[in-house]
Amino acid sequence: MTQRFLDPDVLTSLSGLELIARTVVNGFVAGLHRSPEFGFSQEFAEYRAYSPGDDLRHVDWNVYARTERAYIKRYRGETNMQLTVLLDASGSMRFQSHATSKMDYARYAAASLFYLALHSQHDAAGMIVFDDEVRSYVRPSTRTGQFARLLSALEVAEPGARTDFAKPTLHFQEFLRRRGLAVFLSDFYESPEVLMRAIEPLRYIGNEVVLLHVLDPQEVRPDLREPSILIDLETQQQMEVTPDYAKFEYRDKMAAHIAALRERCRAADVDYFLLETDRPLDAMLRQYLSIRHERK
Amino acid sequence: MGILAPWFLFGLAALSVPLYLHLLRRHASTPRPFSSLLFFEPRTQSAVRHRRLRYLLLLALRLALLLLLVLAFADPFLNRPVAAAPASRLVLLIIDRSFSMRAGTRLEDAKREALAVLARRRAADRMQVMTLGSQLQVLTAPTADAATVRAAVTGIEADDSRGDLSELVSAAREASDNSHTAIELHLFSDMQRSNLPSNFSEMILPDALSVVLHPAAPDDTPNWTVISVTAPPQIWGSGPEVKGGSVQAVIAGFATPAADRLVSLYVNGKSVASQRVHVPANGRVSVEFPNLVVPHGFSRCEIRIDSADELPQDDVYRFAVERSDPQQVLFIHAESDARSPLYFSNALAAADATAFRAQSVAIGAAARLSLTPYAFVVLSNVATLPQTLQSELQRYVSAGGSVLVALGTGGAGHERVPLFDSAIQEVRDYSSGSGGAHERFLTVGETDASQNWMGNAASWSGVKFYYALRVDETQAQVLARLTDHTALLLERKLGEGRVLLLTSGLDGLTNDLPLHPAFVAFMSQTAHHLSALQQGTGARIVDSFLELHAAQEAGTAETTRVEVIDPEGQRPLSLAEAQSTPTLRLSQAGFYQLRRGNGREELIGVNADPRESDLTRIPEETLALMRRNPVPPSAAVRSAGSTGKQPYPLWWFIMLAALLAALAQAWLGDRMLRTTTSEPGLNREAG
Repeated sequence: MTQRFLDPDVLTSLSGLELIARTVVNGFVAGLHRSPEFGFSQEFAEYRAYSPGDDLRHVDWNVYARTERAYIKRYRGETNMQLTVLLDASGSMRFQSHATSKMDYARYAAASLFYLALHSQHDAAGMIVFDDEVRSYVRPSTRTGQFARLLSALEVAEPGARTDFAKPTLHFQEFLRRRGLAVFLSDFYESPEVLMRAIEPLRYIGNEVVLLHVLDPQEVRPDLREPSILIDLETQQQMEVTPDYAKFEYRDKMAAHIAALRERCRAADVDYFLLETDRPLDAMLRQYLSIRHERK
Repeated sequence: MGILAPWFLFGLAALSVPLYLHLLRRHASTPRPFSSLLFFEPRTQSAVRHRRLRYLLLLALRLALLLLLVLAFADPFLNRPVAAAPASRLVLLIIDRSFSMRAGTRLEDAKREALAVLARRRAADRMQVMTLGSQLQVLTAPTADAATVRAAVTGIEADDSRGDLSELVSAAREASDNSHTAIELHLFSDMQRSNLPSNFSEMILPDALSVVLHPAAPDDTPNWTVISVTAPPQIWGSGPEVKGGSVQAVIAGFATPAADRLVSLYVNGKSVASQRVHVPANGRVSVEFPNLVVPHGFSRCEIRIDSADELPQDDVYRFAVERSDPQQVLFIHAESDARSPLYFSNALAAADATAFRAQSVAIGAAARLSLTPYAFVVLSNVATLPQTLQSELQRYVSAGGSVLVALGTGGAGHERVPLFDSAIQEVRDYSSGSGGAHERFLTVGETDASQNWMGNAASWSGVKFYYALRVDETQAQVLARLTDHTALLLERKLGEGRVLLLTSGLDGLTNDLPLHPAFVAFMSQTAHHLSALQQGTGARIVDSFLELHAAQEAGTAETTRVEVIDPEGQRPLSLAEAQSTPTLRLSQAGFYQLRRGNGREELIGVNADPRESDLTRIPEETLALMRRNPVPPSAAVRSAGSTGKQPYPLWWFIMLAALLAALAQAWLGDRMLRTTTSEPGLNREAG
């Protein structure tokens, strides 16, 4: 059966992040064929025997009635999950080769995650917008109006200076003291070593870290037809490049960068997923969640 | 190979433009934003090399386009041997068969010369035979069969038409347009000066045509002829009442010395009078035969001279004269109208007492009469017609009869004009001043100048019109109008006949026309017009057209058959043609007999065009202009085996190649430039 996904350019034509988020989430939820096991928490894991001190609320009394033995239902992330999206608002996120820029795509993805966490799973959700500094911070919460606050913060987040993961990482640790899920949305134009040095402390304090690598297809597979002068959107540096270089050497370097990121993430028990902005967002999220579910 | 316009080769300097644009001019690249240059390295040298390699094909096409354009304007040519295409020649044999070719042995000489050209033809030549007269007639299709060509040439006979060299040019142009081979035109003619068109530009032949003239007469030939005859077409009466007319003939000589000639008048083949006249050198003289008396019916009359020249066929001039009793005219008037028949009959008697006799009847008595014997019918002050008379009049007119309707005051209060069938729109009573005129009468303002029988407006001067009816004139021809533009005299053709409508009257009350001297002339001319009597002699020239049927109106015409017998006693029209053909071309000299649908018979003498009697040749310098390519016949035939060079222009092929190069470079340039300007992903502004 052919699955019809939402084209990113179609999402761009929609007005309002809430509508986009609802559309995306409904789209990929429908694609999961009503599976009850989706999301980041409340996932049934196993039964274990009751031991003194366990919360009696988690005893499965139906099992006790049949077997006269007390069992505890265990869930993954049974504590309330706290979702924090760390959105890269550096200048490079402004790039676009079609109607949807990387920043817009990241916004849609963040909004969809917020919608999923707040409305579907009743988890707390918050957001940090950063470039070389922390630009804005929305504390994770499940309060009424949190979704609107997050969307408002997304709306005003505009690409600014260059990326620097090292400086804002300290602030991340300050904000993310409580265990939770930290989702990075960035193009990760940084060396994997520097990046992992900035992220690993979050992992150490018990956070589950996910890197969603947002790239434009022209960044992955540039198609230059003639020698061109390119301007770096972050540094404003100009460089004349050739189609041959872009076709072969650049692609090799970018592939190596992605492979290195993926390898380092696997080593550090960090989720990594590549989002190309010409791919349907609902399909990408569904794919990622399916992979995540299988891995857990 | 050579170049006709080498100065255009300076245009090759334009080749430097694409060279500069492609190779020397530094490519200006517009900077494009990119997310990060982290993985890029600057590469400049390879960029220029790549650009050059990439546009090499486009550069080559542009250089080729410019080179081809310059070459095309330089007009290069290739020398090709003429004999390389010996099969591509069409030989046109055009033989003059006009009336003048009857002189001496001209036609036989022309045919003999044509057969000689046929004998000298090349094996690969195709030949076509045509004859020249007033029209060019094609006898054979282009063929290589000598027997067919020989038979066609041998069978040519002279006719009575006039030669027209402009027809030759038209045919030559058509042949040149339709044939892709070389054409050699041979004209065998006596080269009469009178055959030339008035404008020599009409004689300009196509460039791809070589003309060989074969004059059939060595020099100007003296010729005497009867150039014109003036005689009355009709003579009326019998016994002592007969009013004979006089016959005037003009005898002319072309290139002739002064000489005495015997001129004779023949009636029905018998000489009735002769005169000897002195014709001055290259001049003309007039001869008169008074008191021509002919028997009843049509007589075939001729004026003959004893010319003893090479063209005896033009020594006779034919004309027909009809002698008949006075024609009856039926005048139908209202019961109360006693004035108009009096005026009408007196006018006819004063003008042509021997030609027409009027018979006046009141409307009540007219229904019992048969209209066939009458030359024409007059309706005066008759507003309505009895049904039987209406039907009889319609049949009479459809068969070729004529009716004059004078409305008078009778038409007032009625909706339509009887027989004429036009709506009566308004009564114009000028005597009461209701027409807005300052005077209490109007005069004739204008007349149709093309109607000679009516005379001009001046001949109507002094005639006062007090009363007229304005009628619907959409289907009629207006012959005269009053000064307020009210139509006074209208004519309408119904079937083979005609109806003349006078919107005033003949009774002397609605106008003073009957009291005016112009009335007699008007009635006489109207009578001749309506009775269809010819004003000139009963003679025409060859190639003129005879009207057989009047223009038919839908729903009114009954087809009638016209019988025609030509001078050889043959019927030139089939039964279908006799009912439908509007005109007949008189193609032979002699007497034509006609019987029209209404039973009237006519005899017409037809003579050759007098211009054919002038055997003066076209001046030699004019013939040289006509030849343009003065290749003598023998030389033309000899040139068949020669191997001379002929320039063959190449510009057409070069322009074709340039067009292809232009299309290719446009397609390639568009493809390259379009893809360059729409670099996917790199030409968008970020954010």
